[in-house]
Amino acid sequence: MNRAQNKDILIFLLSSIGLIVLPHVLHLHFAVFGFFCLLLAWRFVGIWKPEYLPTFPWIFLLIVCGTAILYIQHRGILGRDGGTSLFVVALGLKLMEIKTERDLYLINYLAFIVAASQFLYEQSILMAAYILFVCGVLLATLVFINSHVANTTVALKKATVIIAQAIPMAIVVFILFPRVEPPRWLLFNDRQEAKMGLSDTMEPGSISDLGTSDELVFRVKFTGVIPQPNQRYWRGPVLTQTNGKKWWQATDLSYLRNLDKVSYSGQPYQYTLMMEPQEKDWVFALDMPVDFSSPLQRNANYQLITSDNLRKRSEFKLTSYPNYNTGDLTKTELQDALQLPGAPSEKIKQLVIQLHGYDSKPKDFINALLRHFRQEDFHYTLTPPLMEDKPIETFLFETRHGFCSHYASAFVYLMRVAGIPSRVVTGYQGGTFNEVGNFLEIKQADAHAWTEVWLDKEGWVRFDPTAAIAPERIEKNIDISRLTQDGLIQFSAANEGAHAAFNFLKQARQLWGHVDYNWQRWVINYNTANQSSFMSAFGIKDMKTMVYWMMGFVGIITAILSLFLLYQKPKPVNRTLLVFNKFLKKLAKVGLTKNPGEGARDFAERIKPELPEQAETIEAITSAFIAQHYGSRPTEVKFRRLCRLVAAFKI
Amino acid sequence: MQNDIQRLLNAANQIILGKERQIRLAVCCLLARGHLLIEDIPGVGKTTLAHTLAKLLGMNYQRIQFTSDILPADIIGASVFDSRNHEFKFNPGPLFNQMILADEINRSTPKAQSALLEAMEEHQVTVEGITYQLPEPFFVIATQNPSHQIGTFPLPESQLDRFLMRIELGYPSPQYERQLLIGQNRHQLIETLMTVLAPQQLQDIQQAITSVHVSNALLDYCQAIINFTRDSTEYHCGLSPRAGLALLTAAKAWTFMDNRDAVIPEDLQAVLAAVAGHRLRSANNDSEAIVAPILSKVPVH
Repeated sequence: MNRAQNKDILIFLLSSIGLIVLPHVLHLHFAVFGFFCLLLAWRFVGIWKPEYLPTFPWIFLLIVCGTAILYIQHRGILGRDGGTSLFVVALGLKLMEIKTERDLYLINYLAFIVAASQFLYEQSILMAAYILFVCGVLLATLVFINSHVANTTVALKKATVIIAQAIPMAIVVFILFPRVEPPRWLLFNDRQEAKMGLSDTMEPGSISDLGTSDELVFRVKFTGVIPQPNQRYWRGPVLTQTNGKKWWQATDLSYLRNLDKVSYSGQPYQYTLMMEPQEKDWVFALDMPVDFSSPLQRNANYQLITSDNLRKRSEFKLTSYPNYNTGDLTKTELQDALQLPGAPSEKIKQLVIQLHGYDSKPKDFINALLRHFRQEDFHYTLTPPLMEDKPIETFLFETRHGFCSHYASAFVYLMRVAGIPSRVVTGYQGGTFNEVGNFLEIKQADAHAWTEVWLDKEGWVRFDPTAAIAPERIEKNIDISRLTQDGLIQFSAANEGAHAAFNFLKQARQLWGHVDYNWQRWVINYNTANQSSFMSAFGIKDMKTMVYWMMGFVGIITAILSLFLLYQKPKPVNRTLLVFNKFLKKLAKVGLTKNPGEGARDFAERIKPELPEQAETIEAITSAFIAQHYGSRPTEVKFRRLCRLVAAFKI
Repeated sequence: MQNDIQRLLNAANQIILGKERQIRLAVCCLLARGHLLIEDIPGVGKTTLAHTLAKLLGMNYQRIQFTSDILPADIIGASVFDSRNHEFKFNPGPLFNQMILADEINRSTPKAQSALLEAMEEHQVTVEGITYQLPEPFFVIATQNPSHQIGTFPLPESQLDRFLMRIELGYPSPQYERQLLIGQNRHQLIETLMTVLAPQQLQDIQQAITSVHVSNALLDYCQAIINFTRDSTEYHCGLSPRAGLALLTAAKAWTFMDNRDAVIPEDLQAVLAAVAGHRLRSANNDSEAIVAPILSKVPVH
């Protein structure tokens, strides 16, 4: 029976291939995916209606189509997207010509490659579980092809056992095999999905609805004390330049070398920061980062940037001090920190005069301004009205509804009008504490903007005007998305049951966050550096020892598995049969072999004419064997006689 | 006892020419207390075979011709009012005989078929609440026309399963056909036959067959065959446990006829086509072809 025409095998193979290519619907261009689906569906129909399968000219036409789609989409086959598309299209085309058993194997191996290519796009724990499952199905297909008794359940069971046996080996090789980092030029720069994140400009007036995304930005694990929520300011870009509407970073940061030495005091915080992939080269350290190592650098705005590629997950070990003094200002800094788009309006001047901006100490003016925000009718909201023209004035005197960016920009503007050097700092504030994994999760929704004012003898000092108007946002670290438009907080006034359910959901979410953190931390991010530090914890210092350990473990596992497999089938060996098999072996040497379904008697009758001079011995042996093996009274004497006869039998 | 069997076979071979294997299987089936189904086109000697066996075994013989309008009462018998004694009296039907030839069983409706088949299984019939034992030994030879012929009601699998064996007679070879053509009338020949095996002797042989030895090695092979039919894609459904028992019983009888005391795989193989052919649904209708994969693929150890 030709296995390539077996319906069960084909249905099984095609279904598993469908499962494998399915997640690619998220990454591949719809033309490529659609082409593949068409071929797969065609092949499915072909199981029952083989006459519908394409003949050679049609296959050639399909190949031309596939190549054209590939060329139009990717202009080649290099790179992640191009390469994956090539494999998917090739797999689809190969389905059209299943003729021999060899084709089935070829398709199976191609499918394994396509399954592995999923990891080029997504490395989450769920995807890994899915790929493992799919590989199980593929393996089951191989089992299916190779077994004469085709049975889906048996094949799946067998594949599961094979995978279970392979897992210890995979773990050992994963941990102990020397990690090889590919050289940078090998990393193809494919388009990444642009991620919503902090930008290096800010334009509060033009935003009427601040999206709050739950997407993770980075995670922080502290090795000691964890700072209070009102100290958790994760520093990002510092915006000094403005045209009244928009704020942006100063381009010239060359005054770094002229900066005063920063002095630190207080309790240092040590932590590991794990950034999710992002486009920018910013690392959001806790204010103020002191200890960091290459490739990190601190720029003139005390922001950490890296020269490394942040498009993959990266990990940094940092130390920050909450209290610091940045010392004197440089000339450029002062210039930037006082920059105004033009003369302020009368209304603004009036406000500054009213708050004693011109005739009191800077600190008094700051306090007066914060008090003004608190006492007047200002509201914190995520859905402020649009302020297209003169946003700061409109905000201060008319709408009075805004979020952190509005407050920070208005605050800095007023400071500068009063001649006090100040600037806007953006970044993240707060973070959710994961109690299961003991780490902080900082999400896009935690994005924040605050201000820094330069004070004599104190250097740059942080002030957060948002804290004046919505202290819950900063101190209690309440999710801002849960604040209403009026600045009131919607505390869940719901009943106890709903509260319990909410708590359960929260816990489940934290547990999942913990699992995901460890997956990223220990599996995805297990690179050369992590491997060597992990290994040195076990006293393995160099690669040679590591490889020895690996070989040792692989040997031990192989030995255990072999023992297990050997002892699995303690087949009761029939000694009569063993002796008879010796006799059969002797006959096999002269080309007389017993067919599997042939009985001893029939075999003897068949070979007697071939060996007429041995006919008597053959008859004697066969009769003795039948009497001993099938007879009603097998005895030791008969068995010995059979042994003697077989031993004496010679051709 | 084996000599008697040999004489029986020889005598039967005188009547039906060139069908040694089929006659041997038929006798084997009888010795194993099973019922026999002969499937073939009309006129190849099905009835003659049944008649010959009945005569040689000294059994009282009754032929029931199945037609499309036959009713269960025509087979089993019916209660008739006896006006003299003012009571109902049971008049036994043709079924109350030792050897029944159910001719063209698949021409009758399922209702009539099932009346016979129930009696075959239970060796008794129940009419109006009273159970009547059938005579011992009780042996049914049913003949059936190939189902592609007009006017047939094919027996369902559950009822086919009640026949220990199904054999096909086939056309005689030209040499035997010539002998048949120039020879005496078969009916007259049958009338001259003497009883070779009395019913009591037959029962003794049937008893002796139960003590034929079956070794573990042979049971392994038997189970391998059954499992193969269940797992393989060749068959729609595998052999039932009843089929397994039937296979073993038939093999024992075959062994006994061969004058041996222990069953060997060759005995199983010899009866396999006849015992398993009609129980395995397959595209093919030829018993030998149906069981060919079993014989070639299931290894003998």
